[in-house]
Amino acid sequence: MKNYNELNSMELDTLREIGSMGTGNAATALSGMIGRRVRIEMPEVRIMGYNEAIDWIGGPEIITAGVLARMEGEINGIILCIEQAAFVEQVLSCVLDRTFHSFDELEELDISALREVGNIMISAYTNAMSGLTSMKIRPSVPAFAVDMQGAIMAVPMAEFGGQSDYIMAIGTNFIFDDECTVPCRLLMSPDVRSLNFLLRKLGVLDG
Amino acid sequence: MDNNKLIIGIADMKMAQREGELITYALGSCVGVALYDPVIKLGALVHVMLPLNMETGRTSPLKYADTGIRETLRRMELQGAKRSRIVAKIAGGARMFDTPGCGSLGNIGQRNIESAHMTLKRENIRLLKEDVGGTVARTMLFDVATGVGRIRSYNRPEQIL
Repeated sequence: MKNYNELNSMELDTLREIGSMGTGNAATALSGMIGRRVRIEMPEVRIMGYNEAIDWIGGPEIITAGVLARMEGEINGIILCIEQAAFVEQVLSCVLDRTFHSFDELEELDISALREVGNIMISAYTNAMSGLTSMKIRPSVPAFAVDMQGAIMAVPMAEFGGQSDYIMAIGTNFIFDDECTVPCRLLMSPDVRSLNFLLRKLGVLDG
Repeated sequence: MDNNKLIIGIADMKMAQREGELITYALGSCVGVALYDPVIKLGALVHVMLPLNMETGRTSPLKYADTGIRETLRRMELQGAKRSRIVAKIAGGARMFDTPGCGSLGNIGQRNIESAHMTLKRENIRLLKEDVGGTVARTMLFDVATGVGRIRSYNRPEQIL
């Protein structure tokens, strides 16, 4: 059984491929929902230790929104979509024509829009995964929280912390109408058994 | 003063004696355990993520409440702390997501608190104060000179621990 930190370059490239496809799907879906042109930059897929991942996202104490869903079916795990302030600002302005001031002032309507966008993003990645592998993956109903991003990120980390000290993160920038660049960050955590199953299914698992 | 700040990451522990501030950021379901020998003013702060160490290799004892607390006590004793004088303050163990369909996800915080309580009891360490549970993330600061802790949260006034 291979752990996240033991993957070779071909196995990592395969995960990158899933990340790219998922990001492409997400941009298309997002563009449909908010009615603006959304381009993406080449996504970055990284395997990191806990503390490194929290630094990568901008530090532990920054307040952010998170949408979290469990993956069930042939692949088990968690996906967390991190919606930082710049992202929330764009979504609320495009979807609801509202101005974002701070996370304290989010109303029910804002929260349901953010939850739905998170759900779309999460489904875009699980669809990429199941499309490439022809496995069934069902994302659960998403949960939503606003708090320090270190604590939000620790949720998927703790869920599989007994198996691995590493987590897979996907980062890209969405460019709205060629003018506004918005960072997008996701943590994708199939459990270690599912990770191995996934790589074997794609024919790249070495050993 | 900034030179005296020691930052503790996840599954990490640091110690300071006589002066300095130990800080661990954004405890969600994780638990921060501050252990302190007031006589020699030796303080330690450990940031644990899971309740019980069931690893076969035992490579990261500080990740778990049970082995994290024991390992911290061991290292404090090496620095001259006396078991009978050491007291504890803990924070964290929140439930970050309200997830009806997500099974065990919400319980890790509660299990971390229980494991910390049980381990402290078994090791005969007195728990002086705690700020645990709920749904809010906590940054924990511990002043080694005084043994006083502070808790910083989003949308909640600072608490003294």
